[in-house]
Amino acid sequence: MNSYLRLVYRNLRANLDRASLFFELIFPLFFIFVQGFGINGIVPPFDIGNGTFVSYSLFLAAGAVTLTVINGGTNAGTQLWFDRKNGMFEQILMGPFTRAQYILSIILATLIIGVAGSLLVFVFAYPVVGARFVFTLGGGLLIAAALFLGTVFFGAFAIALSVALKSSETFQVVSTFAFFVFLFTSTVFFPASSAPAAIRTVSMLNPLTYTTDIFRAGLFGSATALTSIELAVLAVEAAGMFIVAVLAFRRIRV
Amino acid sequence: MQELSKHFGSNVAVDRVSFDIDRSEVFGFLGPNGAGKTTTIKMLTTLLPPSSGRAVVLGHDLRTEGRKIRQQIGVVQQQDSFDQGLSVETSMDIYGMLWDVPKAERRRKIEDLVHRLGMEEFRKKPTIDLSSGQRRRLQVAREFIHDMDLLFLDEPTVGLDPMVRRTLLDFFKEKVHEGLTIFFTTHILEEAEYLCDRLAVINQGRIVDVDTPENLKRRFGSAKAVEFKLLQGTSKELASSLSSFVGVTRLVEDGGAGVYRATTARPESVIPEIYRQAERLGLTVSSIYISETTLEDAFINLVTEDDKTDPTGAR
Repeated sequence: MNSYLRLVYRNLRANLDRASLFFELIFPLFFIFVQGFGINGIVPPFDIGNGTFVSYSLFLAAGAVTLTVINGGTNAGTQLWFDRKNGMFEQILMGPFTRAQYILSIILATLIIGVAGSLLVFVFAYPVVGARFVFTLGGGLLIAAALFLGTVFFGAFAIALSVALKSSETFQVVSTFAFFVFLFTSTVFFPASSAPAAIRTVSMLNPLTYTTDIFRAGLFGSATALTSIELAVLAVEAAGMFIVAVLAFRRIRV
Repeated sequence: MQELSKHFGSNVAVDRVSFDIDRSEVFGFLGPNGAGKTTTIKMLTTLLPPSSGRAVVLGHDLRTEGRKIRQQIGVVQQQDSFDQGLSVETSMDIYGMLWDVPKAERRRKIEDLVHRLGMEEFRKKPTIDLSSGQRRRLQVAREFIHDMDLLFLDEPTVGLDPMVRRTLLDFFKEKVHEGLTIFFTTHILEEAEYLCDRLAVINQGRIVDVDTPENLKRRFGSAKAVEFKLLQGTSKELASSLSSFVGVTRLVEDGGAGVYRATTARPESVIPEIYRQAERLGLTVSSIYISETTLEDAFINLVTEDDKTDPTGAR
């Protein structure tokens, strides 16, 4: 079996906490079925681009699916922390693998968790989002690109954070805080156009904004010329963060 | 290995270390805490790049052929290493899978190792619930699921009871007989003597000597151990004056049994001194005899002499 496959399989078997995964799925569903329906009655349908009007519950449901991407990303940092704490990081690097294979295997495992989690949430949320979802090849590709690039960014971000912080407890606290910042300055809960100028500016730097916007565009067929620019920005951010993670990873003291 | 060194900033952890290891040899690496044993292992297993020097491991250059080296070695680290979300058996299976061992072979080897190393009672237990001794056994066992030519054992018997320790040492001996080469670090010198063909003593990052256990004992065991007991039990005054006596390299006191053990190269001058000091303090020596030098005595002498030669570490 290929070295990457072996490492990815081992990451998925050894380092995933099933209880955490369960709650990572419940979290977005809670937004969709509680917050979405709760606020739906007081917010009229609005334009998300290309003349596409959607209700707030639909808007939020799409955002909540991409929320799974950020949760999947946290797993990358957790995997690395478990391995460092339990001595498996050094053990694997003294085995028939390179550092590059190890870090890529974490990213790949994170991609599987992020994409599979998103699809699962999508399936559960289908009674809500299915009302407007029409599958097209272009839309499918946009959805796949959003999930892929978003997971790479947040996986790499979590790895860089995990390397920089001295304890797993600090990692949990800081990553939770950082991900809340990403979440509430993105377009998961509200369109950037309706936010104050400061938040709108931060939102334009936030990769979760682009992940969510591209995902929505793919889901509701609302892609515009802006979508391809958003795709390019997200790709650059994901590549940049991946490089940061690799550089940080190379500095780990053994 | 030729002149291999490792610096961490201005701190020299390993200083121009050189030695050769033969195939199917058990090569012991002894040294006090912080002497550079683990750093040497980390360099030889390609985890840490050397600062200078050269080494060839199993015919492969350490600097340029790291992956080829790692494909042929096994490592039992000093620190715990385990997959916390798995049971013992699954953890062994996945470790074998990482090494690309076919499933049927993994199953067969796991059965054999679990039986050989007495792991039946905890084979189904989650690794997170194991005692430190059980984790140690797991670390050793899983390394034998894959083939290797050279095994690094960094204090592999820490936390094990004497029975399990002997089982492991005999298991290692059997594997060496089948062709395995072992690089072995330990603090338990009886183990080193039992297992190792040759020993290197490292102190302050430098190799002090390399020889067989017997030769080390003979060469540095001009020292003998004088063991004695006092009728009155123990005496701090006596211990203090004997410790500063020129001929005594080391004096240890077994508080429980009330036995003093003085390591010396000149028992003929130390014995009268013991009687002289005892008389001065109004004590009576109830028994005294000269025992053979142990490897521990030789080790202590070597390291103590090395420290005395140059306590700053500079040569």
